[in-house]
Amino acid sequence: MIDSAILLQWIVVWPFLSSLLIAVVYLSNTKAKRYTFYTLVGVGTPVVMTIFAFILIFQLSEGAQTIHGTLFKWIEIGDFNISLSFMADRLSAVMISFITFIGTLIHIYAAGYMKDDPAYGKFFAYFNLFMGSMMLLVLADNPIMMFVGWELVGLCSYLLIGFYHQDSANITAANKAFILNRVGDFGFIMAISLLFVAVGSGGFTFDAIAANIGQVSPEMLTLIGFLLFVGAMGKSAQIPLYVWLPDAMAGPTPVSALIHAATMVTAGVYMVARYSFLYVEVPDVGLFIASIGAASALFAAVIASYQSDIKKILAYSTMSQLGYMFIAVGLGAYSAGIFHVFTHAFFKALLFMGAGAVIIALHHEQNIFKMGGLKKHLKVVYITMFIATLAISGIPPFAGFFSKDAILVTAFASEHYVIWGVGTLTAGLTAFYMFRLLFSVFFSKEKASHALVPLPASMTLPLIVLAIGSATAGFLGLNEAYGGNTLINQFLALPDTELHISHASEYLLTGLNVLLALLGMGLAYKLFASEAKEAQPDSLFRSLVINKFYIDEIYTFFIVKPLLLMSHLIAKVIDPKIFDGFINLNVWTYRTSGLLFAKLQNGKVRYYALYILLAVSVMSYYILSKLEMM
Amino acid sequence: MTDHILSIIIFLPLFTALVLGIVRAEVRLLKIGSFLSSAVTLMLVAWLTFQFDPHAGMQFVEHAPWIKNMGISYYLGVDFLSLTVLLLITLLMPPLYLYMKHEERKGYWYNMMLLQTGVTGAVLSLDLVLFYLFWETMLLPIFIMIGKYGNGMHQYNAMKIVLMTILGSMSMLFSILYLGYMHYEVTGLWSFALNDLSQIDLNAQTSIYLAAGFLLAFVIKIPLVGFHTWMAPAYGSAPTPAVVIMSSIMAKLGVYGIWRFGFGLFESTLLYYAPVIVVLSLIGLLYYAIRAITEDNLRKMFAYSSGSHLSLIALGLILTNIYAWSGSLYLIATHALASAGIFIMIGLVYKRFKTVHISELGGIASRAPKFTFFFAFFALSIAGLPGTGGFVAELLIIIGAFKVNFWIGFFTATTMLAAMVYVFWMLQRTLFGPDNSSCDFQDLNARELIMLLPLVLMLLVTGIAPSLFTPLFEPQLSLFLSDILHTLGGVK
Repeated sequence: MIDSAILLQWIVVWPFLSSLLIAVVYLSNTKAKRYTFYTLVGVGTPVVMTIFAFILIFQLSEGAQTIHGTLFKWIEIGDFNISLSFMADRLSAVMISFITFIGTLIHIYAAGYMKDDPAYGKFFAYFNLFMGSMMLLVLADNPIMMFVGWELVGLCSYLLIGFYHQDSANITAANKAFILNRVGDFGFIMAISLLFVAVGSGGFTFDAIAANIGQVSPEMLTLIGFLLFVGAMGKSAQIPLYVWLPDAMAGPTPVSALIHAATMVTAGVYMVARYSFLYVEVPDVGLFIASIGAASALFAAVIASYQSDIKKILAYSTMSQLGYMFIAVGLGAYSAGIFHVFTHAFFKALLFMGAGAVIIALHHEQNIFKMGGLKKHLKVVYITMFIATLAISGIPPFAGFFSKDAILVTAFASEHYVIWGVGTLTAGLTAFYMFRLLFSVFFSKEKASHALVPLPASMTLPLIVLAIGSATAGFLGLNEAYGGNTLINQFLALPDTELHISHASEYLLTGLNVLLALLGMGLAYKLFASEAKEAQPDSLFRSLVINKFYIDEIYTFFIVKPLLLMSHLIAKVIDPKIFDGFINLNVWTYRTSGLLFAKLQNGKVRYYALYILLAVSVMSYYILSKLEMM
Repeated sequence: MTDHILSIIIFLPLFTALVLGIVRAEVRLLKIGSFLSSAVTLMLVAWLTFQFDPHAGMQFVEHAPWIKNMGISYYLGVDFLSLTVLLLITLLMPPLYLYMKHEERKGYWYNMMLLQTGVTGAVLSLDLVLFYLFWETMLLPIFIMIGKYGNGMHQYNAMKIVLMTILGSMSMLFSILYLGYMHYEVTGLWSFALNDLSQIDLNAQTSIYLAAGFLLAFVIKIPLVGFHTWMAPAYGSAPTPAVVIMSSIMAKLGVYGIWRFGFGLFESTLLYYAPVIVVLSLIGLLYYAIRAITEDNLRKMFAYSSGSHLSLIALGLILTNIYAWSGSLYLIATHALASAGIFIMIGLVYKRFKTVHISELGGIASRAPKFTFFFAFFALSIAGLPGTGGFVAELLIIIGAFKVNFWIGFFTATTMLAAMVYVFWMLQRTLFGPDNSSCDFQDLNARELIMLLPLVLMLLVTGIAPSLFTPLFEPQLSLFLSDILHTLGGVK
């Protein structure tokens, strides 16, 4: 019998150690080609992690209680007593099992994708560091360690977006990602601090906080819940902190697949589910979360429908799907949210990896309107991406159908009809923009004239595995209405809001969703299947959407510009004119009085006689006036 | 030996300098001598730390009358607070001497030894006159280093730092002398020992004036916003070893002064100044950080960065609760390490490119991966990245601030954002992008790696396992704190 606590520790520590190993070897000689070593260590690590994760989830499903594992005490000051310790309950076990599994596939894919990159070793050092940080985020048993993981995944994201650092634009994108994430973290850390001040004296693990949450006033809980969600807005790219995600596509495609689609960006949803004990107390904040989610979902879907860069379309699509997840967790359907995180990881990773394969095959072309007719040449990529597109569009029986359906039913049943309406509309749009992508790339007239680059097996095999996942993962969450028993919800055992809806109305809602999806699909077929044309900014609305509503420009104008202006103001006016001005004024006064006194002492005797006369007169006057008074 | 270990630690560098000076040692011998003196002090301090009892108060005390009829004594001792700063001084000297290996100007080496004696003495003195003596001693080598070996408008800038600092020192000297006189008034005996002077009861008005005298010296040294215009020019002109000592040690001595003498002598009076200091620190935190964004000179940029972090340290100190205090102490240590690292890296940039202007740099990452790693590591630890010690410190201060009230907490938490903007933009323009220089950029060599690795390791260890360090200071710190809170409670 393997000690599960030790497994739990190693699943976090291992990737950090392997990352360190690769980094040291890489830095010792960056020119050396050590393809086998880097691949062995880099790809071997997630394989081992996956095995550990499956053993853990197996033990939990056998009825084991929450597994705890402590590495060491991190700090102890006053009541602030934090350990570097981990907790695998059912929620975190589900998360790590698909993160490690999909992570492994993406690592294998990356071994093919990055093969000829001179910084191959550096890439895997970062990638393994990311896996470790993600484990820390998910498995942490207290908010502080979760925050550490939360920041470290942000760092990895920064490093990997800026991976091609010779191009300054990529670094700008990386900076943008990190800075906007940090804005979110600013909220997050305030929330944690407030939480500690409120209940920290009773211990600061999630279990202890959950036990003492009743002591906190509702106003404070509302504030904490809101600030925590600010963190999620940054990490999970929701309005208004989303602008970094499309730019983050500057990183290598495996990075977009792993970090900016399947795992890191869903951390916000996980976080809300992790704090579900807090959010059930403050349904108003939940409603706010759901509204932001719905707005982001629709907003991103609209923009995605007019983009032409394949990775940017997928990025907006990710933002839109994350919106769905927040609708779910916001309305208290935590299991449904996590279920969508789970299925989304499969089909979105697949979409990105397929897109990467297309990009490589076409010599780094990313504009979908310069592609076309690829279904004959890239059969595997075409079929797998077709499956993923069906899944994300919510066509039964593919994975996305079940998870998205569960969310929309929740919205309807909890009588938030506006959110439901927005979600349903977005579902139609999703089918439209995804099939627009698919048809433009694989169906429409062939435009690429030069020969395609052949794809290695390490890039196509993971696609097939993920396609199987995208087709079948949904059955884990098959609900009663379809003859299942929502396995995943029962396993997760989260404090979901109880909702009741008749089977008849559920079938009706589902029918509507599928109908809308088919409509979107049909429209895309009509517009893009034979001849795909890029959208032109020929009307006000279109130019607004194509320019992404000028949100970046608005941020630059209202935040970046004033900050720079302020900095210049300090440099040019406040420091030299006011602070130094005051100091120099004193210096000037001192100097001037010195010069003045120097004038008096001019060496001419008649002046000195005058001084003596003046002094004697003043003194005499003083003495006389004193005498008179007496 | 144990009886006089503190004296040995203080005077060994000065003694070495004197001996070498008397025999008119050639520069090679001078280098070996100064490095050895720093290595031996490091070993002595390591031994001292090992012997240090975290539960006892002042330790290794040396007390001897010096000028008897004026009650001035030679009084040294070490507690958690001075030990922290002492450790930093001794840890930083050997890497700095390694950095200076190719420095052929003799005066440079003599000044560094004198500087070490000055700062060490200031940190270990428990007699106010003695403290004042060392406080001024450490300014002298800095004046020479900037004035003689600096660059840019170095003579003007050296004069500026000295005049502004001395303004503070004079007001402090006045307060010290007046306190001694008060002691004479009350007890009939002269004394300048800290623990004697803290016993006398001052009336509120006097105490407010005297505290102002001390505070002025310390806030100029830190510097808080408004007292800071000497900082950027001095950092910009000073040679790298001097900058490291100024940012890592001397600025911290300002905070140390408030902690040791401010709280030691005027517990309740500090409460009177607390709102002002809190506001100045919070303004400073953002003011310096915003100013740093558009600064083109790397040294000046990190001068402002240093000011921003020291404002945070001062803030934590004045908030007087266990979390903020621990955070401030921790930040004193970790910021010293990180800023020493970044200023040494900037020095290395200067050695290679002959410039520290961001607009003339770029593309380093393509040529020098090791250099890039270390530079980015130190810059990120300044921004308080988790995994480095700075994060632990900032987290503690933020929690401490929220313990006081929401708005102070809110503004303190902006430290998360403040450093980040200038650090990341600077990294982009310095390290990344296409090459814009044709010079042959050498990656770090073995000597440079050896001097930087200890700093990196220390920052990582302080970040990953703070529990190794907290037991060293926590017991005394909470005792000191509860004493003060007790007095404050009496006042309220």
